[in-house]
Formats: sequence, C-alpha cells, structure tokens
Amino acid sequence: MSKRWVRQLLGLSGWLLAALALGAWFGAVSWWLAAALAIWLGIVLCRLYDLDRALDDRKPLFITSDRGMWAELLARVERVKDKARYRKKKYHQLLREVYKSTGALRDAGIILNVQHEIQWFNAAANRLLGLESSRDVGQRIDNLIRNPEFVAYLDAAKDDVITIPSPKDTAGRLAVQIIPYSRNQRLAIFRDITHEFRLERTRRDFVANASHELRSPLTVIGGYLDAMLDDGSIPSVWHTPLAEMQRQVDRMTRIVRDLLELSRLESMEGHAGHEFVEVGAMLRAIHKEFAESGAGPKPALSLETDAALLGDESQLHSVFFNLINNAVRFTPDDGKVDIAWKATKGGVCFEVKDTGIGIPEELIPRVTERFFRVEPGRSRASGGTGLGLAIVKHALQRHGAKLEIESELAKGSVFRCHFPPDRIATRGGVRQAAAQ
Amino acid sequence: MEVEDFGHHISRRFNEDLEHVRNSVLKMGGLVEEQLDRALQALSQADSALGLQVAHDDYKVNELEVSIDEECSRILATRAPAAIDLRLVVAILKTITDLERIGDEAEKIGFLAARLASLEGSVNNYRELRNIARHVTVAVHRALDAFARLDSKLALDVVKADEDVDQEYEAIYRQSITFMMEDPRTISRVMDLTWSARALERIGDHAKNICEYVIYMVHGKDVRHIKLETIETKVVDRNAG
Repeated sequence: MSKRWVRQLLGLSGWLLAALALGAWFGAVSWWLAAALAIWLGIVLCRLYDLDRALDDRKPLFITSDRGMWAELLARVERVKDKARYRKKKYHQLLREVYKSTGALRDAGIILNVQHEIQWFNAAANRLLGLESSRDVGQRIDNLIRNPEFVAYLDAAKDDVITIPSPKDTAGRLAVQIIPYSRNQRLAIFRDITHEFRLERTRRDFVANASHELRSPLTVIGGYLDAMLDDGSIPSVWHTPLAEMQRQVDRMTRIVRDLLELSRLESMEGHAGHEFVEVGAMLRAIHKEFAESGAGPKPALSLETDAALLGDESQLHSVFFNLINNAVRFTPDDGKVDIAWKATKGGVCFEVKDTGIGIPEELIPRVTERFFRVEPGRSRASGGTGLGLAIVKHALQRHGAKLEIESELAKGSVFRCHFPPDRIATRGGVRQAAAQ
Repeated sequence: MEVEDFGHHISRRFNEDLEHVRNSVLKMGGLVEEQLDRALQALSQADSALGLQVAHDDYKVNELEVSIDEECSRILATRAPAAIDLRLVVAILKTITDLERIGDEAEKIGFLAARLASLEGSVNNYRELRNIARHVTVAVHRALDAFARLDSKLALDVVKADEDVDQEYEAIYRQSITFMMEDPRTISRVMDLTWSARALERIGDHAKNICEYVIYMVHGKDVRHIKLETIETKVVDRNAG
C-alpha cells in the first residue's frame, strides 16, 4: 500500500475518532458519526466526479490544489490519456500514409475473407472495377465480378494469374492474382492490361495476316519453279540453282505454314475441345511414317497404357509429330530414339528420349521461343522451321498439359508431356465427357 | 428499410440457405453475361465456331436455373419465409426465369452469328448493332449489380434506360426495311440481322424486368406495368421516408 493510501486511511480514522469524541461530549454519538460520514461521503463523491470528468473530457483537467491521493489519481489519469492520445495520433498518421500510398497504386488491391467478402480496397479498385466503399464493403466479390472464369479461380485458390474482361468495359482486360497472406485473408490484385492485350492482339493479327499474304506468292513461285525444272530447254547450268531455289521455297512454305498454325493456336481463347483422341493409334501411325522414311535413326515405340485423351486431334498430332521429328533430326543415324506412352502417378505422360546432340542447360528454358535455335546452322540444314517447339508449347498449354525437358550436351534429351487426369478418356467415359 | 440484413435469423442454416441461393443467382447472371458477350463477339467478328459454341453452352444456364428453382422450392417448403425473405425468394424465382430467357436469346444470337458468318456479306453491316449491343450489355450488367447491391436507384436507372434500347431497335428495323427494298438479294442476311437486333431488344426487356424485381424486393412495391413517373415517386418516397 502506498504512503498516500495510508495517510488517507489515517485521515478517515482521525475524522471518525474526532466525531466519536465530540459525540460523546455532547451525548449524541450516532448523530455525530452519521454527520461525519455524510461529509466524508460528500467529499469522496466530489472527487469521483472530478475523476469521471477527467476520464471523459477531451481537454486536460487542471488540478488546482493538492488533495493528496486524489490529485495523484487525477494526474495519473491525465498521463494515461496523454499517452493514448499520442499513440492514436501516431497510428493515425501511419494509417494515413498507408492509405495514401495504396491510393497511389495503379493496381487495384482488395482484401477478401474466407467467404470471399470484400473487407477493404484501395482507390484503384474504384477506378478499375467500379467498387465503392460505402456500399461494397461486406459484399461477396463474386457477386460483383461475375465472370465465370474469375469465380472458378476464386474457388480453386491457385496462385497463377488469369485474365478476365473488365467488368466496366468488355473490351478492357484485367490480369488477376489472388495471394493468400493469412489463414483467413487473401489479397486480390487486379491490373489493367488492356493496352498490352491490344498490342499483343495487333502483333498476332499482323503475323497471321503477313503469313497468309506470303502464302499465295510462294505458291506461284513454287509452281513456276516446278515447271522450269521439268522443262528440258533450260540450259543445264541453271539446274542446280533452280533446285536450290525450289528447296528454299519449300522451306519458306513450311515456315509460313507453321507460323499460321502458331497464330491460330494463339488466337484461340480458352481450352482445347474434348474430342476423343486415340493416342495409341495416332502414335503407331506417326511411328510408321518415321520408320519407313530413309533418313535418321529408326525410333522405337512402346505403348505402356491404352489411355486415350480428350482434346483436339490435330493439335495433339502436331505435338507428337514435332517432338518425334526433333528427336530424329538431332540424333545421329546410329543413335537411339525411344517413344513411350505411359501412365504416371498424376495422369499420363508422352515421352521421347533420344541419344542426340542435347541442349546446353542454360538454353533449355529458351528452346520453346519461336525461331530460337541452339545451333543455327545445324537446325536449318536439317530442315527445321524454328517453330516446332513453340507450337508444341502452345498446343500443350491449351490442353492443360506440361512440357518437361531434360537434356545433357552430347548425351541426349528427354521431352515429356504430362497430361492432367481430367484429359484422360476411358471408353465408358466418352459419352459423359462429350456432353460437357 | 433494412434489406441487406439476411443475417438476422436465429437459424444459421436459414441465413446460409438464403445467401447461397442469392449467390447462385449472381453466378448464373455471370454466366449469362459471358454468353451474351461471346455471342456478340461471334457476331462482330463473324466467328461461326464461337457462335455455335455459345448456342451449345446454353445448357449450363438451363441447369443452373433448374437447380436454383429447386432450392427456392425447398426454402419455401421448409422455412416458410416471411416479409423480406419471402420477397427475396419470390424475386429470385422470377429473376432466374428472365436470366434463362436472356440465355436463350444469346443462344439465338449465337446461331444467327454462325449463319451470318457463313453468308457472303460485308462485315460493316453488323456495325449498326454495335450501339444497341452496348446498351444491352450495360443494362444486363447494371441490372445484376442492382440485384447484388439491392440498389433500387440503380435499378430505376436501368428501367429508364430501356427506352434507348427500344429506340435503337426501331432505328435498325427501319434501316433494314430500306436495305431490303433497295436490294432484295440482301433480304435473308438483313432478316437475320434484324432478328439479332430483336433478340437484343428482348434482352433489354428482360434486364428491365430483373430491375423491377429488385425494386419489389427492396420496397415491397410491384412496379410492373406502371408509368415511369409513378415508379419514380414510389422509389423516391421510400428512400426519403
């Protein structure tokens, strides 16, 4: 117990004793005691009133005279209030800074809880998505951004980025990413990519149009070259140049064809269709083609599963053909090319293993870029267009499949395509899958 | 009036049921919006594959309608809702019918787009649809927003804006007649175009209906087949009071 409290107690006992003594003197003890207690109670009530005001008031309370314990109590209340006021000011300032900086962001940020309800968002969310804090906090975000792809993404809780049409303007495009940052809160970030989207489309259209326009002149040149080669009246000195010209025209035709295929793949939105594709038969046919052609090593085919796929037949054909074709082209005649179709833990896998020249490790991530060549001279000489793996990558993407490349220089490469389980078709499941 | 508070029931299951069915309606709305967008894209880009895809995908909308319908019946039977809850369920039952019709019209546009894409004809001719298409997509979007936010003012705006759609349709209709009189060879193409415009105009009407249900849900007033000014006073009165 502090000294002040002791003094206070002593004061009270002194006061009561004095009342008792006076009461005994005048012969009315109970009256005197009651009066003394009433006065004491009055004083305590007054102090309590002061204390109440001190806790309540925004302005500091001035303690005019020293009243022992009470003054101390009031002073302490003031100190606590001061501290709280200072802290509040500091947090307020910090909060204002945070608001200012998130408000300056060009990407919309929205905090969501487990029920997908909006808890907070920045100023850009208003600009990009038309949200307003007065009415939209507490709303479920999938009620306001109703794009089916976005709703599915919200439920799937994956960490990749998807692109959706802007809810304010269907021509606009937004990139969305949802980042979980605590057990029950997630941050959704929306970025306006309309400009990039348009540029990309312009580029795609340009490539498609250019390839298309190149095709007809090439056909004409090829036709005349054929005629000239067949014509006996042309001097023999021209035979070699003409043959070379024809080879180059063939190559260019192939490039244009691949470019067109690639731009067609790129322009298709969403996922590939769900046709029933008999992979075993398709691989046997491709294998036969290579086995019967004169050039290169003879590939070996092993079909370990009879699984069929649900997808786009021509795209899958071009995936398998390009991968096998690459393996055969980059493997010496005495090397080995093994093709396998097998079931794995999480789906099915198409694998091409060769003992060819291999790819340097640092270049592996780049081989699917268009016109990227590990060894420019070699690849061109063997008749490649530089687009095969780009086509493979895009076609696989549309099937939700993954391309895995392992390679060692001078020892060989392995290309694996992993197809997810929802692309696998069983005989009985065809009808059901086709209905979807 | 406290309308956003579906969370006031003693039974938590009831709250969840109501919330869930409301979310399903908006999910269906999102699907319908996407169908409409894709149908219009098929039309403007003469993409017959996309048009047929849209027509094929209409079953998804229908499936959702059936499941929401069932859920509403179940709520009515087991919970016997009253007041705002009852209005919510009734409005949902009507809204999904209109959404399903919008889906049907989108399907129709998809078919027409596929047919138009296979016909010879200038792509320019679909440009006149662009205006009405924009009006209608905005109307559907805002109707669903009004439903999500229970915003009767926004709903009223959409109801008002439907007149623009009707006028656009009228203009396309007249223009089409002129085209057909000038050159009878275009008749089949222009007819298809007019049918598309007609489908869009119908979609606008369905969006308007949805907005009327929103007003009913919020204010408990039936505003169908009433003059616009009367609706306005009703909505404004309630907002002021």
